[in-house]
Amino acid sequence: MRIRGTAAAVVAVGAAVVLLAGCTPRDNGTGTPTGAPASSTPVDLVSSLPAGTTAVDEVTWGLAEGEPALLAPGGDYNFVTPNLCDSLLRVTPDFGVEPGIAESAEFVDPVTFVIDIRPGVTFWDGSPVTRDDVVYSLERDRDQRSAFYGATVLIVPGADGIAVTGENQVTVRFVAPDSTFRDAIAGGAGAVLSKAFGEQAGAALGTSAGGVLCAGPYKLDSWTPGQDIVTVANDTYWGGAPEVKKITYKFVPDGTTLTNALLAGEIDGAYNVPPANRGEFESSGTGTFVVGPSTASFSFGPTRSEGLGANPKIRQALSLAIDRDQYIQTVLNGLGEAQSTFVAPFSWESSDAAATYKAGYDALEAPTTDIAAAKELVQESGEDTSVPLRIVIPAGSTELSQTAAIMQSAAQQIGLTAEIDERQAADYAAMFSDPFNESLRADTDLIAATGYTETPGVLAYPQLFLLPVDQGGIFNWSDYADADVTAALQTARTTPDAEGAAAAYVDAQAIFAPDQLQVTLAGAYHTTFLSNDLTGVVTSIAAYSSPWALALGGK
Amino acid sequence: MNRATIRPLLGKLGGLLLTLFLASVVIFAALQLTGDPIAAITGGVRPTPELIETIRAQYHLDDPIWLQYLRWLGGIVTGDLGTSFVYKTPVVDLIAPRIGITVLLVLYTVVLIVVFGIGSGILAARRGGATDKAVLVATSVGVALPTFVVAILLIWLFGRELGWFPVYGAGEGLLDNLYHLTLPAISLSVLYIAYLSRITRGAVVAQLGSEHVDTARVRGIPSEQIFRRHVFLNASPQVLSISGATIAGLFAISAIAEVAFGIGGLGSLLTEAAARKDLPVVQVISLMLVALFVVVNAVVDVIIAAIDPDSAKPRRNA
Repeated sequence: MRIRGTAAAVVAVGAAVVLLAGCTPRDNGTGTPTGAPASSTPVDLVSSLPAGTTAVDEVTWGLAEGEPALLAPGGDYNFVTPNLCDSLLRVTPDFGVEPGIAESAEFVDPVTFVIDIRPGVTFWDGSPVTRDDVVYSLERDRDQRSAFYGATVLIVPGADGIAVTGENQVTVRFVAPDSTFRDAIAGGAGAVLSKAFGEQAGAALGTSAGGVLCAGPYKLDSWTPGQDIVTVANDTYWGGAPEVKKITYKFVPDGTTLTNALLAGEIDGAYNVPPANRGEFESSGTGTFVVGPSTASFSFGPTRSEGLGANPKIRQALSLAIDRDQYIQTVLNGLGEAQSTFVAPFSWESSDAAATYKAGYDALEAPTTDIAAAKELVQESGEDTSVPLRIVIPAGSTELSQTAAIMQSAAQQIGLTAEIDERQAADYAAMFSDPFNESLRADTDLIAATGYTETPGVLAYPQLFLLPVDQGGIFNWSDYADADVTAALQTARTTPDAEGAAAAYVDAQAIFAPDQLQVTLAGAYHTTFLSNDLTGVVTSIAAYSSPWALALGGK
Repeated sequence: MNRATIRPLLGKLGGLLLTLFLASVVIFAALQLTGDPIAAITGGVRPTPELIETIRAQYHLDDPIWLQYLRWLGGIVTGDLGTSFVYKTPVVDLIAPRIGITVLLVLYTVVLIVVFGIGSGILAARRGGATDKAVLVATSVGVALPTFVVAILLIWLFGRELGWFPVYGAGEGLLDNLYHLTLPAISLSVLYIAYLSRITRGAVVAQLGSEHVDTARVRGIPSEQIFRRHVFLNASPQVLSISGATIAGLFAISAIAEVAFGIGGLGSLLTEAAARKDLPVVQVISLMLVALFVVVNAVVDVIIAAIDPDSAKPRRNA
């Protein structure tokens, strides 16, 4: 899971990220709208645009998230790395999984996973992608500092865990079945980097000084810190060279500046454009505004094991006091939908066990507004209501300051007072990147955040918030401990078949959803603005994990 | 140069160095209060105990604060500006490519301020009547308009509606730079044009009504000559000292226009670095801003002293 702080600080959470489910590749085509959910303003969700057919010399792309800290996978999350570093498998725009650098990557028995490397794939410098590079890349994930560490925790420790077993083959052995591994290596966890280059670069790997050597559709040409990142087409890409010869990434964390540059046609495209400018984007003559499916959501949750925020009744009461439709209109300008729990349906919609997930999700109570019931819950909570509730948000995020204001007025309506604790982007980000440092969370009760999962699967979020700390619950700051939930989530992870895993997850969900460890205010759609001359980009949240500009080109 | 000219200059230089030294202490100390920089350095990666230890050693974070300060100051004096916490590259490599565009933006703005500010002030003072009223109204609106509001209006009108000027980036090559910097420079200058126009008008009106100007008029000196020799020259120290402070301040507020127009200059770097707690970058840019402020003001003082030697002497009844 990634917590999105402000545009300036995209935080990669460095532990226990696990992603689940549907273990078979899906062949869904791209460019098909997925089902539009009910919302006050109906929106057609599109997961990708038809592939470009004509060559384009140069595209300028705006990064609303600001400048990446690192381009090597496993550091922070950005939209540049997925176009540079191809993975063993690939996340499709509608959140399925298909082959990538691996021709095939499957469990041959519940604890043995065999990766067959596609012959003839080369890095940008022409050197072949070998089994040693694949072992090196997977071993990088096993470093505790890697964002993908959690995906590797069930691998047999030591050299036996990831071993060469053939000319073009690598085998991964597990101590227990892992229903999440295959989906994980479709994202950054499966990105293949050159071993020789990586070992030479050392600590500088992925920085502006060190660079990277990967096998993706675009090559890193230059990175001028604070200025731009220039990438050029990899003409020897195994899947065919892209139509666009050069993509220049500009860092535009200011939403208004980005909007102006896009509308004036000075930047050709961008993701995560400000929802507040929806009207201008939709009526623009220079480009198209595309809304896609996503796993992203806006939520708030407890920061400590004591105090108001840790009391589930207080969280439930706040949840009842916030009108979701109004929230979605105010904060997201209609570009989102209400969600019954914090795992978004898009996480499982392409799973083989989607029907089981759907039945479980539909059985949950949808969020409603009921001020009287909320006030009653506050009474029942037994908390001292004269103590103010302290809500942490990052400075510079329009959406989260609006969220805090809405929470504040909801609190007031039900007899609570709320204070807003706005923190510098870096300080806010540190709360998540250094999750065991309690001093950062002292004097706070709740934290508002946006987060998303970039590969298919349902376990990433719940594990972080619901499991005991030693089992991966790094954000389980309120010390939530429910033996049934823990057991069911572990079963979901270690059950090899999709249906079994889904059934176990749904059981856990029925218990944890009402406890509101994260009070989800809205699922947020993935937004894209793209110049009228261009087409072919991925427009779902899969853009975070797949080479989204591979099919980018002229119309 | 005789001793009488050199001594005040040396005194000025000493004061300048003292100011910079004090500023460096304040800047360094103030930023130490912002807390542990580990999170900024690790850049969102979970800081394991070993990693923290390595970083603390690498950046000498466990040294006493005065030693850290001396190391920093020693580095600055010898040309080593330190390493960015966030980008992990030398601070000088971040600042060097950005100075040019910020200087260009500030110069462009200064030209606009001087030409239109002083020009309209003189015009209002000399013409009087309807012209004076029109300038008064325009400058009243001008001083009340915050820079970012002007930026929004300009972007909307000249960028989006009319499409005459670009609204993003700084362009490539000098002419393209100037083209791209037009709207940012206007948005930065409006407030100051209005302000300087008022100051100029006041100073000129005061001079026009002064005794020596009356005397000159009585002696039949042509009015154009009176204006150049007596009015403008006598009004200029006041106008100049205000202009000096304005120019120095522009380097600091250029950040507003740089962010609004997506220009990769010093101001936007400072804003970004502050948000990311990139202390080495913030420290160096802050010190540069102080240095610029001090130097520009010193230069203006010297110019004023050259125009009006009396102003450099100690005054009893200023």
